[in-house]
Amino acid sequence: MITLDLELKDIPGELIKALTPISKLGANIISVIHLREQKSNGRVPVKVVIDNVDNEKLKKIVDELEKHDVIVAKIGDDERKINLDVVVIGHVVDTDVRDTIDRINEIGLVVDLDLIMPDPYKESSARMRIVIDKEKLEELYNLLDKISKEKDLLFIKSC
Amino acid sequence: MKIILVGFGVIGRGVAKVIDEKKKLLKEKYGFEPKIVAICDSSGAAIDESGLDLKKAIEVKEKTGKIANYNGKKISSVEVIESIDADVVVEATPTNIKTGEPARTHILKAFENGKHVVTANKGPLALYFKELVESAEKHGVMFRYEASVGGAMPIINLAKETLAGNEIKSIKGILNGTTNYILTKMEKEKLDFNTVLKEAQELGIAETDPSQDIYGYDTAAKIVILANSIMGMNKTIDDVKIEGITRITPEAIELANKSGYTIKLIGEVKKNKLVVEPRLVQLDSPLNVKGTLNVAMFNTDLAKEVVIVGRGAGATETASAILSDLINIHLKVKEK
Repeated sequence: MITLDLELKDIPGELIKALTPISKLGANIISVIHLREQKSNGRVPVKVVIDNVDNEKLKKIVDELEKHDVIVAKIGDDERKINLDVVVIGHVVDTDVRDTIDRINEIGLVVDLDLIMPDPYKESSARMRIVIDKEKLEELYNLLDKISKEKDLLFIKSC
Repeated sequence: MKIILVGFGVIGRGVAKVIDEKKKLLKEKYGFEPKIVAICDSSGAAIDESGLDLKKAIEVKEKTGKIANYNGKKISSVEVIESIDADVVVEATPTNIKTGEPARTHILKAFENGKHVVTANKGPLALYFKELVESAEKHGVMFRYEASVGGAMPIINLAKETLAGNEIKSIKGILNGTTNYILTKMEKEKLDFNTVLKEAQELGIAETDPSQDIYGYDTAAKIVILANSIMGMNKTIDDVKIEGITRITPEAIELANKSGYTIKLIGEVKKNKLVVEPRLVQLDSPLNVKGTLNVAMFNTDLAKEVVIVGRGAGATETASAILSDLINIHLKVKEK
């Protein structure tokens, strides 16, 4: 058996969207556990247990799920994706927030952005949640350092 | 044990007071009879080879501001270290993070004259650690500096002695009480940085010139001392990547809170990387200590995580660490 830890958007139809490619690719679904009470940042964790499949098929399933905007957080005990919270201080919007997010999305995926602008002239504060492959963390930190210097933004990373 | 006390400010007086108050216990418990034979400040020195009257010395200093008024000697601290017979020099002059002086000279002179040194002074340790340690070794004397990091928290001796045999992989923590007070207050009352800083200055928690604290230099100096003394590195403060807390906004803390974090100024040493910067700390993490408290977390190969929390500053708290170093020297000398 293989347990997949997925994170779905909390809107109707998402569970079907996640389960369809799994069964279409011929994997037998044994159990689906919806962890609605653990919902965070608008995403609901779902544990899907499937029968053993070979690595090639597993990879296809994961690719297919990711195409449908489903986050595959864990396969078995192997943590693939990390939910990284980062707080940003500075002129977040004026320094082209779109560009900041696009560049981060080349390495990971910004799934949530929360922004407070107390005053148009003062520095604003934002919180981003970035989903990222575990092994790409160092690359992301280097990118944040680079953006930080370019745009004079302070990224506060988790400890 | 004959002691020369160099520097008679808040810390120096704290040491004199604690030694005076604990006289009986120290003798009974450790057979330790410390005798302060000289106290120096910038005005000169009070000297009595049979032991100074500590209550009187504190009174003279607090009333007149000059220890020279005790029995009127205009003699420099370096001369005292060279000429007065003593076992240990306690270096408690104010920290200078740019030059490390006059403490560096005091410490080196003490070693050259065969005297052990106990210090609370971060400056020389953060700048000249290797030189000082090598000089102590060369002259066959002991050099202890527990009070320089984390005040009353026994960080250095815990790592070097109690956790002996463990490989320490990283150390991270909050090593500056002033910034922790400011961030805690900003979080609780949703006030901006400058307002809270002003209030902290009025309360005497932040200094009139708070730059050492708020820009992270004080934490950086401590991180360097930990890297060198515990993890065997050879770093100076220039090797630390430093970001202070001046840009932190109450909104940033609010956003952090929303996702289960708070913001703390964290100093960290790991694998040749020394960093001081604001970080997100989980609300239920043992690193989330409030107010002026300090905390340090060791990550070790055998014991895994070990966390220690305590008071990072204050006269009595710092004196506690200095006293433990003095007792340790006394016990080691007795063993020989």
